[in-house]
Amino acid sequence: MVRENLCILPADVGIDDEAVMTDRDWVRCAQDGDEEAFAQLVRRHSGGLHRAVARILADDSEAWDVVQMAFLKAWQRLDRYDPRYKFSTWLYRIGTNLAIDLLRSRSSRERIHKTHTEHRLRLVGAGEGAGSRADTNEADRILGQLVGVLTPQQRSAFVLREMQGLDTAEVAEVLGCSATTVRNHIFQARKALRGEMRARFPEYLPASERG
Amino acid sequence: MNCLEFRELLDSYLEESLEEERRRMFRRHLRECASCRERAVSEDPTLLFAAAPETPVSEADIEACAAAVTAQIKQQRLARSLSRRRRPWLAAAAAVMIMIAGGLSWKAMRGGVETSIPATAEIISHDDVRPPPPTVEVEMAGEEVRVYQFAAEEDDDTAVYFVVNPAMEL
Repeated sequence: MVRENLCILPADVGIDDEAVMTDRDWVRCAQDGDEEAFAQLVRRHSGGLHRAVARILADDSEAWDVVQMAFLKAWQRLDRYDPRYKFSTWLYRIGTNLAIDLLRSRSSRERIHKTHTEHRLRLVGAGEGAGSRADTNEADRILGQLVGVLTPQQRSAFVLREMQGLDTAEVAEVLGCSATTVRNHIFQARKALRGEMRARFPEYLPASERG
Repeated sequence: MNCLEFRELLDSYLEESLEEERRRMFRRHLRECASCRERAVSEDPTLLFAAAPETPVSEADIEACAAAVTAQIKQQRLARSLSRRRRPWLAAAAAVMIMIAGGLSWKAMRGGVETSIPATAEIISHDDVRPPPPTVEVEMAGEEVRVYQFAAEEDDDTAVYFVVNPAMEL
């Protein structure tokens, strides 16, 4: 790959050592206006961010739009990035806020039109290659159908920590709330999902409760 | 974490009372141990979500995203540089306007009061010579109505009249 010589790499990192460049290195180059350095950050984090946003929105293609918007916002606000935090946390914060805004606008639209959300269930794996990702499909398929059961905050907290494996403190930073609030969101989300799953997916009833 | 510990911690995990490190270990065991996962999901179906493996994202999608973001950044940068290029012309235009305004003020100050009085006088004299408005007279002639418009007294050879049909709807 040919990089324009916009960024001075750290002394111990050559152009062939891009894999060992940390996010902080790439961010510093991007802050100097190096677009290719920023593209490296996109390559590194777009997959993870997309997985999270797709699960929050229950929409695979809409999630790509949000991911692109999140990166563009990040580029525009790079000067405001605080290097004390992980770049991924900052990026997830931008992406999750965009997804939450979208969920809110979607829910107000749906209140008006009274349409059901199941048409959006083009979530990862619902189409081609679904057979090879049966476990993922099952969890994502069910979560996609329960999109309206949780508030946007509960949904984001649950997806980020339970499904994406972020730490509680990291989710708190992403959502801009305390760790206690995150735990509370997840507790409430689990309660709502449990009740809904038992009502709508009888195969998940405990053996003792099945008729 | 072994399977026995996992089972012991199940309720604490669901109640959100596990400290972070234990919670992380519980989650790892849930994802790695098939028999514990099956048992845990049958006890609480919401554990299915924590057990869901990572969904792969294709390299092509990632590359397309990077290309789209880079293209939009370039576009924004181009738009900014074009708007910056337009600015010198605006500045030059503003400078010319300031110079003209300054010149006019200077000229007015140099000319003093004398320049303004004749202008006012000219306006007054122009008002004085304004012709009186034309007069209009209406005359009934049988079924017709004649409307005469007379020009100013100085121009007494000009008169226009219209014949109006009263049945006509105006």
